[in-house]
Amino acid sequence: MPQYSSTDFLALAPVLILVLGGLVLLMLEVFQDSSKRGYQAWFTTAVAGLAGLAALPLLGSDPHPILAVEGKAAFAVADGFGGFIALIVCLGLGLSALAAGGFLQARDADRGEFYALAMFSAAGMALLGLSTDLLLIFIAIEIMSIPIYALAAYMRKGAKPAEAAFKYFILGAFSTAIYIYGAALIFGATGGKTGLSDIAIAVQSGGSLLLFAGLALVAVGFLFKVGAAPFHMWAPDVYEGSPTPVTAFMAVGVKAAGFAAMVRVFVVGFGGEHLANLETGWGNLFAIVALITMVVGNLLAVPQRSVKRMLAYSAIAHAGYLLLGVAAAGAPEVRAAAGEGILFYLAAYTFTGFGAFAVVSALERLDGEGPMSWDLDRFAGLGKKRPALAIAMTLFMVSLAGIPPTAGFIGKLYIFRAAIDAKLYTLAIAGILTSVISLYYYLRVVVYMYMRESEGTAVVLPEPRMNAAVALAIAAVGTLGLGLLPSILGDAAQLSAMILGG
Amino acid sequence: MGAALHNLLSIITFLPLLGALVLLFVPDGKVGRGVAFWTSVVTFLVSLGLLAGFDTASTQAFQFEVNVPWVESAGIGYHVGIDGVTLLLILLTTFLMPIVIASAKSGITTRIKEFSLAMLVLETAMLGAFISLDMVLFYVFWELMLIPMFLIIGVWGSENRIYAAVKFFIYTMVGSLLMLLAILYMYWLTGQGGGERSFDYFAFLALEIAPQVQIFLFLAFAIAFAVKVPMFPVHTWLPDAHVQAPAPGSVVLAAVLLKMGTYGFYRFAFPFFPHATFELRWLIVALSVIGIIYGSLMCMAQRDMKKLIAYSSVAHLGFVMLGLSAFTTAGASGAVYQMLNHGISTGALFLLVGMLYERRGSRLIADYGGIAKVVPAFAAVWLIVTLSSIGLPGTNGFVGEFLILSGTFFSKMPKGMMWGTLATSGVVLGAVYMLWMYQRLWQGKVTKKENENIHDLTLREWMIVGPLVALIFVMGLYPTPFLKLAAPSVDRFISQLEKHDSTLAGDPPASIGAKAMEAKAPTAALEPAELRVNPDQIKPFVRRPQAVLPKALPVGDGAAIPGQGQR
Repeated sequence: MPQYSSTDFLALAPVLILVLGGLVLLMLEVFQDSSKRGYQAWFTTAVAGLAGLAALPLLGSDPHPILAVEGKAAFAVADGFGGFIALIVCLGLGLSALAAGGFLQARDADRGEFYALAMFSAAGMALLGLSTDLLLIFIAIEIMSIPIYALAAYMRKGAKPAEAAFKYFILGAFSTAIYIYGAALIFGATGGKTGLSDIAIAVQSGGSLLLFAGLALVAVGFLFKVGAAPFHMWAPDVYEGSPTPVTAFMAVGVKAAGFAAMVRVFVVGFGGEHLANLETGWGNLFAIVALITMVVGNLLAVPQRSVKRMLAYSAIAHAGYLLLGVAAAGAPEVRAAAGEGILFYLAAYTFTGFGAFAVVSALERLDGEGPMSWDLDRFAGLGKKRPALAIAMTLFMVSLAGIPPTAGFIGKLYIFRAAIDAKLYTLAIAGILTSVISLYYYLRVVVYMYMRESEGTAVVLPEPRMNAAVALAIAAVGTLGLGLLPSILGDAAQLSAMILGG
Repeated sequence: MGAALHNLLSIITFLPLLGALVLLFVPDGKVGRGVAFWTSVVTFLVSLGLLAGFDTASTQAFQFEVNVPWVESAGIGYHVGIDGVTLLLILLTTFLMPIVIASAKSGITTRIKEFSLAMLVLETAMLGAFISLDMVLFYVFWELMLIPMFLIIGVWGSENRIYAAVKFFIYTMVGSLLMLLAILYMYWLTGQGGGERSFDYFAFLALEIAPQVQIFLFLAFAIAFAVKVPMFPVHTWLPDAHVQAPAPGSVVLAAVLLKMGTYGFYRFAFPFFPHATFELRWLIVALSVIGIIYGSLMCMAQRDMKKLIAYSSVAHLGFVMLGLSAFTTAGASGAVYQMLNHGISTGALFLLVGMLYERRGSRLIADYGGIAKVVPAFAAVWLIVTLSSIGLPGTNGFVGEFLILSGTFFSKMPKGMMWGTLATSGVVLGAVYMLWMYQRLWQGKVTKKENENIHDLTLREWMIVGPLVALIFVMGLYPTPFLKLAAPSVDRFISQLEKHDSTLAGDPPASIGAKAMEAKAPTAALEPAELRVNPDQIKPFVRRPQAVLPKALPVGDGAAIPGQGQR
């Protein structure tokens, strides 16, 4: 019988708080008057804030194993890396809940389940950041994913949302299946090991074909989750069809947790020179995938007229830049720099990507979907109609394009720095060139907001909502703040990435 | 007071941004422009403090230096400082901004507050780019310039504004991103010696980069700056941007933004990569000369005044680049001087075109003709600015072009004579297209009925162009104080390159600048004492033509010139 100490619980506090918050909210939903649901979004944000506070002590702490069993590597580890991911997840949850509050109230669809599901999912994400065992990672992925399947189907009227929900469920289940198959192969190849540090020792002498197959399948499972090309097909449809706040949560939360687990599995479990190497190891694999993802995401975003779909492709493109960081981590001496870059980029994307989706959700038509619901035309003349919203959106677009003085620029700076340190020059140049392509579609939104007048029938925009406005303000301040004073998070990211070595 | 003086540069740079913040809280409409105008006036007045505090005798490379860590973990610092050249460019910027904002009163009638906001942010970005001595800081300001300018063209421009704005943005961005990559690579190099990595200017300057690598890095930097200059063949965004931009936007674009490119070569591209600079100098020089001739020829074919002036910018900036890459004291100080001249003359021209456009709603030359009779004062001002742009002795343009050409003739540049001669044809062509435009616009009979009732310059318009016209004469007749400010910095620029290869850079012994001689023969016996006046090497250089220059005169423009330049 394993003995759990109080440090285990302290390290798991963010996860536990999120689960507890979800349960409390479900209970409240039962006993509360159904007309008084306005508090739920704020309650969720408060829980997210609390969980975030609980994750803070992890940032500076020395890594120590938790959930350890005699004779086996620990299932999880309490370290800065996991703490940083938990922080990002909590941030994404809090912001998305606020945006969802306004969104759902306007559509008269405010229910406690929504927030409870989001909290459960966030618990899974936070756990994923801490896991160091292939099995626990699998469990955390499922805890994260299943509530999101439900959330994607939350407003399922109409063809698009139904398609989105179904597609996400099927392909999500597929990807976890592929992952667990890969894990099983690794289990076989290493003689029954699932803990990452055990695996690291077992594969020191080199790998068999079985191991490589397992490694590839695990990679594919993760690449599916984060929406990297060529496993990105589901992303645009799902992102477009899901309720926009859910899309935002998916884009920032799932991505952060997925990358965290991916980095941990490959760097800790398969970090050995012969496996990681940039010519023949997984470093090369991720380099190729990063290249394809950057090109595909950016090129396919160009023809989109639906801003929401454009942002979906942009999310793919950003996964490509993050993968560039993962590829750089293939070189042992740049791991710390690559990890720092990935963490900072994730934080920057959380503010910026969320912000962009939140603006879309604030403009969306109230009567459900429709071809025009997210069309660029809805943004025409926004600079006059809603100056604050237009300024915020401009900031997000500028940041997504990686132009200073925003968080997106610093993120790209860190990622490209890692790529150059790892001598991935071609990839860095490809990253730069694809960023140029991205300018076109990001700028187009700005052009519509400031330089075009809305034509034809007057576009009716929904009333601004208090909680969504707060969320947007936080996102905008974060985007600009991280651009001007990157040290606020940069130092923490650097400290947290130390555990990756190098 | 000490702290204020110490941080003077930062205060000047961020004052406009402060004004922009205030602007966020004022109601729409004219108040916004008032705030912007007074902010820019205060910024100008404060920037005069730099002039007072700047020490030309100092041996420091940079003055008013401040260096505090910004992102310590990544080796990024808030490192700012100026030399004489930067000082002049800063003053040019702060001097022009109030004029530009004041001139927007009649041209910009919609969304005035947003326009003022964009202008102030732009001013901070421009000043910031000039003072930055940390590459990331520089890059941040450099990119920050794009967004307000993009909005200014795209929101307040004319018919085809969106196309022009996007083209402007994408051209500039492609170049800058390549530069970013080069910066990151050099940052990686700074850590190769085992020390802490850094983005600092001096860390980059101290790098010993392998020659083959230098070529690539130099190209990455050069493309970014060449787009901005703009040099042939990446100049095509400029005519579009200028034609579509509103008049105040064109003025800022021409007067300050383009200088970023040449400044970038002066401050970063040439000093960082001396080997590549010499290796690829032929390319820079050839493109500059092509730019001069091609730009001038294009000018003659234009029917749109703004397009004509835009192409004339290509030619003028070609002169600047030629002077810079001559690597002689005369060439480089001429280039610096020409940067200021171009800012003033072309800025004034765009202002005048804007005023004409407000009266008649047309930028086509054919829509005017003979209007000097209707508006004589306007015509006179136009003529003065035209002559300054051509480089008539007595105006500022002459001093710049003369120094550049003589610096090119007497340089260690391979085939310097040939390039100089070719460039001189640009001077002639310049006179042709500018005077031809003047003739078509102003002289002869009034060809169109609508033009009979246009009114002459108003008091407000006099206030706007007056300072510029005054400067044209001041800088034309008494260039010494301006050149003196730039001299030590120009010398440092030349001697850095000369140290690398004294057969290709520096003043040749036969030339007028005594610097090279001094460096090699400190005995001073070779030179009469009074010719080595220090620290204002420039004075001899404008006075001395009588003694040494005769050789140059037949090729230069006009023999009456040398003496006039000084008095």
